[in-house]
Amino acid sequence: MQIDQELCIGCGQCIPYCPVGAITMNEDGSEIDLEECVECGNCLRCADCPSDAIYQQELVYPRTVRSLMSDVLTIAEESKISGRGTEEMKTNEVTGRFGPGEAGVAIEVGRPVLGTRMYDVEKIARAVATLNVSFEPDNPITSMMSDPVKGKFKDELLNEKVLSAIIEFRVALEQLPELFEIVKEVSLQIETVFSLDLATKVAPDGSVPTDVYVRQAGLAVAPNGKTNVGLGRAPKGSSK
Amino acid sequence: MTHTLHRMGSDESLSEDYVVLMMPSKDINHEESAPKLRRFFELAIENHAVKIGDCRLGNQYHQGGLNKVIENVQDRAVIHAVFETQEGLLLMLKALKKEDLGLSVVVSGLFDRVWECCREAGLEIHTINQSLGRWGRTDLLPPEPILEVNTMCGHGMVAKGLVEKTAEDVRKGTLTCEEGAEELFKPCMCGIFNTHRAAALLGKMSEAQ
Repeated sequence: MQIDQELCIGCGQCIPYCPVGAITMNEDGSEIDLEECVECGNCLRCADCPSDAIYQQELVYPRTVRSLMSDVLTIAEESKISGRGTEEMKTNEVTGRFGPGEAGVAIEVGRPVLGTRMYDVEKIARAVATLNVSFEPDNPITSMMSDPVKGKFKDELLNEKVLSAIIEFRVALEQLPELFEIVKEVSLQIETVFSLDLATKVAPDGSVPTDVYVRQAGLAVAPNGKTNVGLGRAPKGSSK
Repeated sequence: MTHTLHRMGSDESLSEDYVVLMMPSKDINHEESAPKLRRFFELAIENHAVKIGDCRLGNQYHQGGLNKVIENVQDRAVIHAVFETQEGLLLMLKALKKEDLGLSVVVSGLFDRVWECCREAGLEIHTINQSLGRWGRTDLLPPEPILEVNTMCGHGMVAKGLVEKTAEDVRKGTLTCEEGAEELFKPCMCGIFNTHRAAALLGKMSEAQ
């Protein structure tokens, strides 16, 4: 995103709308630091610039990944949905993505607030790849990897800054203790934050199969979260 | 896209915050899903949702009105309705069970309250997604009151600076809490930002300043 300095009247109205604080005021008016801007489109859409000085410059790869991972209205080719994640557990009763004995894991790098450089996303992906996980093919970041087995990203993407990137994969429940150790260790090596998600199919008796592993690791679970209430289904005659 | 998972706040505050999501599944039941998604919106309005929204096309301000959000919904959309009470959530879940639209429904909120509603509505819990919190450079994060508001838009579009400015405007009396909450809703394209809860949080923040 850029600001036309000829048009900008220096009112500063756009400044608070930037989620990564990339807009500052200089002597000619507001200015966007392109190194920090994640191309989310928030300033253009919402700041209601009185002189229409904000504009979207042409984005050229690899900068295009900033928009893909930061602008919620961008549709990802892989998932065909908006945002930067996938259907994950939201349609699990239809897809069977996570079955008994498995957990779905998502590491939401850059969330909340801070955003992330892709090199930190790679650092985490490479660490969890040591568990021989398969990264979710529908997640756009998987196609940004040059070596999905090792969690290695394409070199030209590493310094790009995005609002968030979600590393998604499945593990067997027995792998959770090792995963938690890896996550703890890598969390000390990054410049940003991540939020950690754990999804699981609830057992027939209503218990949550991952609970015992989370307790053993001494981790805290938030009292709020997401519940799939089982209302979806495949159409009659579908192979699903 | 776990944009409703990590909402932060006290149990008391979160007890006024429930997001109901509906979505089709790619290549399985997405074809001709738009009329079903539209019906979801109608049920949400009938059951007094605080807000509705569409991740694919944007919120009511972006699309030019609440009716546009309902009219424009497309196959493959991921849509939401926000409720401020457990009673409202229960009515919505009962309506969705009765309507039997065949698309996936996910509720974000306090697990004990949501599960109580599921039991009362006769729904079986299939899969859950839990938040194991924030890791890494948490020392760089803003204070909790800011995060409580910011995380109501899981995509992070309700910027820290905008929350601070709005709280200051409320403190100065330039905006009421409700007007401030509505301003904060505008960048949340998915429409999952709970203005009812945000107004209460802005009130607390402006008192504390």
